[in-house]
Amino acid sequence: MAKFILKRLAMLPLVLLGVTLLLFGLFNSLSPEMRASIYVKDPRQLAALDEVIRKYGLNDPFHKQYSRWIGEVLSGNLGYSETAKMPVTEAIAAFFPATIELSVMAFIPIMVLGVWLGTVSAVHRDKWIDHVSRFISITGYSLPSFVLGLLLLMVFYGMLGLFPPGRYSLASDLIIYGGNYQPYTGMVLVDSLLNGQPGVFVDALRHLVLPAASLTYITMALLVRITRSSMLEELGKDYVRTARAKGLPENIVVNVHARRNAWIPVITIASILFVQLLGGVLITETVFAYPGIGRWVAQAAVQLDIPGVMGVALLTSTLFVLGNLAADVCYALVDPRIRFQ
Amino acid sequence: MPRFKTIFSLISLLVVIGLVGACGDKNSAAKAEKKAAAATKSKNPDTYVHVTISDVDSLDPAWSYDTQSHMIIENIYDYLVTYKGGSVNDLEARISNKVPSQENGLLSEDGLTYTFPIRKGVKFHKGGEVTPNDVAYSLQRFMLFDRAGGPSSLLLEPITGLTTTRSKDGKPLDEAYTKVMAAVTVDGDYVVLKIHKPFSPILSILASWAPIISKEWAAAHNAWDGTKENWKKHNNPDKTAEGFHDQENGTGPFMLDRWDKKTKETVLARFDDYWRGPAKLKRAHIKSVDEFQTRKLMLAAGDADSIYADYLQQPLLKNLPGVELIDDLPRIDMNPAIFFVFKIETKGNPNVGSGKLDGKGIPANFFADINVRKGFASAFDYEGFIKDVNRGKGTRAQSFIPKGLFGYNADQAAYPYDIDAAEAFFKKAHGGVLWKKGFKFTLAYNAGNQPREVIANMIKRAVESINPKFQIDTRPIQWSTYLDLSNKSKLPMFILGWAPDYPDPHNFAFPYMHSDGNYPRLQRYKNAEADKLVTAAMTERDLEKRKAMYFRLQEIAYEDVPTLFVLNSVLYRTQRTWVKGYTYNPIHPDAPYSCPLYYLSKE
Repeated sequence: MAKFILKRLAMLPLVLLGVTLLLFGLFNSLSPEMRASIYVKDPRQLAALDEVIRKYGLNDPFHKQYSRWIGEVLSGNLGYSETAKMPVTEAIAAFFPATIELSVMAFIPIMVLGVWLGTVSAVHRDKWIDHVSRFISITGYSLPSFVLGLLLLMVFYGMLGLFPPGRYSLASDLIIYGGNYQPYTGMVLVDSLLNGQPGVFVDALRHLVLPAASLTYITMALLVRITRSSMLEELGKDYVRTARAKGLPENIVVNVHARRNAWIPVITIASILFVQLLGGVLITETVFAYPGIGRWVAQAAVQLDIPGVMGVALLTSTLFVLGNLAADVCYALVDPRIRFQ
Repeated sequence: MPRFKTIFSLISLLVVIGLVGACGDKNSAAKAEKKAAAATKSKNPDTYVHVTISDVDSLDPAWSYDTQSHMIIENIYDYLVTYKGGSVNDLEARISNKVPSQENGLLSEDGLTYTFPIRKGVKFHKGGEVTPNDVAYSLQRFMLFDRAGGPSSLLLEPITGLTTTRSKDGKPLDEAYTKVMAAVTVDGDYVVLKIHKPFSPILSILASWAPIISKEWAAAHNAWDGTKENWKKHNNPDKTAEGFHDQENGTGPFMLDRWDKKTKETVLARFDDYWRGPAKLKRAHIKSVDEFQTRKLMLAAGDADSIYADYLQQPLLKNLPGVELIDDLPRIDMNPAIFFVFKIETKGNPNVGSGKLDGKGIPANFFADINVRKGFASAFDYEGFIKDVNRGKGTRAQSFIPKGLFGYNADQAAYPYDIDAAEAFFKKAHGGVLWKKGFKFTLAYNAGNQPREVIANMIKRAVESINPKFQIDTRPIQWSTYLDLSNKSKLPMFILGWAPDYPDPHNFAFPYMHSDGNYPRLQRYKNAEADKLVTAAMTERDLEKRKAMYFRLQEIAYEDVPTLFVLNSVLYRTQRTWVKGYTYNPIHPDAPYSCPLYYLSKE
């Protein structure tokens, strides 16, 4: 297993090289003036365009610009992100913990509810619970995330005053920046507990409820559908009929036999969903004013913030490789027939 | 089972209708907001929260050239002089004890030497008192910093006569250092400023730019130490190279508590030793929230004291309990404006079609014919734009000088919306070939800018209605591409605007009318008389003569029609009624959404 994992990890630098070459090549197909636009935001600065191009070497040949960038990356410097207003490494360290927090808060209910609903839906095919489950899936798929987000915000913040947007309130802000609070991980839920601040923990949790709920509802749909179809396939197989014929209780048949075999596609989708969440969720972060990585990278892409986009591309590529690796490991754990070959 | 499915389908339909209804029902949404607003009292009476859409770029006064950064800088630093209340013409003393004038003897007869008596007892946030050396250093650093695309030339040019501190190959010029250091000197308790030519707006520039910083603190935080040996190292530096980027040691009423780049939030804390006495507010949070509905809900819930909102959003903010809209606040800007390019770059340019006047494109000199420009000028419904897009707010712009600014001529002729006249001009254009063959080109606007999109489509509809052979494609283009194409003169027409650096007609005349100005350079427009007048008016000290020059320049703008000026715009401010002490001054950065926080309080 260790050999398999090391082999997969050894592929990572090649994947990253490919991704960066592709992205850098795409960016370089744009004119230097377009790439300089990140530094020229106002018509008052138009006259300085040539000087900006010269200063940042935007007119240099592709290989020169790429080797300059990769040289900096190898020395640990990912450059400065104009959209994040800080070095890329700092930006990743600043935004990523918030994204992890939101992703985990959404991913737990996505997995629990998604697998449960998918299973129940398959077991009770064409019964009312199946219809409910399909209704949830269809609306989750089709409802635009900004509509759902604003609806939740209007009801639970505007009407009921329960779950505000942002990451924490002004009261927590005073504690967090009061001087006696250590940001150990950058994740407010974890740091508040480590700092013995249950009030901040509850406050941060309140702020996470709506974005997590919104993400859960929208993202869960795919998992429900996959679990349902995978379970239906397994439940129709001979070994399930045999298990039932020999008198095994239904919950054992479903939960132990069928579901275990239905896990493979679910794991594949779950790993992709989790990595997607970690890559950032633009609309949800925008609606709920949540400072995650999605909002940053979207701005970086639109404004041609090349160091920002390249930094996040390196991060997400790494996450995808690791996510696939984790999925492969999970396959073997749930199905011993699969070996690391 | 089929019966169950029918019932279930009906229930599903009702739920969907209910959800959509909850989203779309304005009454229930409004009720929710009213309930929230009515039930909420100021949650944090000492803390002011402003929620906007942009964030700070840099807190270095010599770097920042955007309104959001400038708005923070204005509250943490002091200037030599500042604007009095809501006036853009009257100045009052700050770090300088007096506003120099010939009456008080602090401005020389020839208008070239300004003497600033430096106030004593003004404390920096991190210790120490302001000295004349600090003041001189502040001005010198502002000019010698000179980052590409930055604000340094605002002072550098009128003071030294140089537009840049670098040669064409980007190397710092010794001449720049010599001239700057000779222009700003210390004489006992005074700082003496000698300018290149008489330039009356210099005090207005000093009221908004080059705030006072500590020389000692600067040197200790990677900034220039004031010596000749080191100035080149600090010329056009990287954004984060110097401590001023995200730290400060100013003398203003507020100190920087933190600039949280992650949440796009700037937090200011009151400076209790402020020389004019402490501010009423203890803290101020300036947050960035992109989504308007979220900002509105924060305002309704009392989590925000004021928010950014434009006119298209105004109906959604009216009648919110506890919220007031301060409307019809005049701006000093010229935005939007529609530019004609006199010599279009047609090579490899899909925006000009065939590149010929054959009905399938336009030639490079399409807009060089004045009848084409006059035709377009007569085919735009200025009043209709103001009525429909700006909800009737603002007035028709007469020319490039905004209403309310010195030099504005209310009687200046402007082309009315007259389709018949437009037709007559088009018939005369290009010797009648244009009318016979027709034309086709692309009118682009920067993506996401709704008013500019409407302008493009209004022009398209009006011009195409005159002759079926006239075709205009309208197209949104990303800002980066827009910049690229307009800079290469590849957009036959483009729509942009201008916000002032200081309230003086020169700050509009140069970018709109001088051949080296920001826009004529892209338009490839040159009028020798206009060039001479712009330069002469800048230094003219006789106000009547100066006014006459600007009147003539506006006549030239009417005669040549290089640009269409659309609107003298107004804005509105949205705030909770418990916010007191707000004074509008259009020259404040990001006004009316933000203001000097010193005067604000919450009740």
